[in-house]
Amino acid sequence: MAGMARISTTSDVFSAIAEPKRRVILEKLLVEQMSVTDLVDALQWTQPMVSKHLKVLKEVKLVAETKVGRFHYYRAQPDELRPIQDWIHRFEKYWGGALENLDSYLTDIKSRGDARE
Amino acid sequence: MNDTTVEPSVIVREFDAPRELVFEAWTQVEHLNNWMFPMQGCQCNFVSADIRDGGTSLHTITMPNGHQMWLFTKYEEVDFPEKLVFLQYMSNEAGDILPNPHMPDWPRDMLASLYFESLAENRTKLTFNWQPRNPTVAELAVFEASRADHHKGWGAGMDQLEAYLAAG
Repeated sequence: MAGMARISTTSDVFSAIAEPKRRVILEKLLVEQMSVTDLVDALQWTQPMVSKHLKVLKEVKLVAETKVGRFHYYRAQPDELRPIQDWIHRFEKYWGGALENLDSYLTDIKSRGDARE
Repeated sequence: MNDTTVEPSVIVREFDAPRELVFEAWTQVEHLNNWMFPMQGCQCNFVSADIRDGGTSLHTITMPNGHQMWLFTKYEEVDFPEKLVFLQYMSNEAGDILPNPHMPDWPRDMLASLYFESLAENRTKLTFNWQPRNPTVAELAVFEASRADHHKGWGAGMDQLEAYLAAG
């Protein structure tokens, strides 16, 4: 797709997860902390590709780094993920919840109506 | 901005009530105040409502913890009793739409299209479609990424994320 505008990898959490490969990495790091080598082995991607996406995830603080001896380990950071989860579920939660209330309300109206009959 | 066809997010729900009543529950304030909030324990109060084609409304929802939010709604189609189309925004008490600093690429214009279908005299099916309107490339990518959809968006990771956050 030469010439197509690339989605910028800005310092925004939502843009960071808009890239499918970064979501794959995050999914891995939600389960356990891993090194770049672990990720390369698990995903069968090249090391530069893994490092490039890790860098973006680190920039937006979705991923934290721990140094153990000579090794760097990465793990997902739950607090930075919370707003994402909130927004992912906004539609289902907000409107799903509202429709639940609508259902109760309609049932209330009906039972009040039935009581009058 | 572009011609990309956006696949909407959909909720389908059936109600034991006639179609006209379900529709009016969405368009009459005396009904709306009783149910239009995301969970029990909230208070809903419409301070203005001009619910017709091209009209707007402004309401406030007070959460059980006292947090108050304002929502401004633009109605595009109010077609009794079968179709309702609106755009809803977080706003201030004056109805000014607020930007969302935490998520600059979340689609600004989220369009809700509701279809009311009569299944029986007292049974109504509501299909609620939610999709970004005229999204930028970045907005579209973020919307697609937000789906709990195994092919396009955040798939199995969503369950892990939920479990992780619940445990945290």
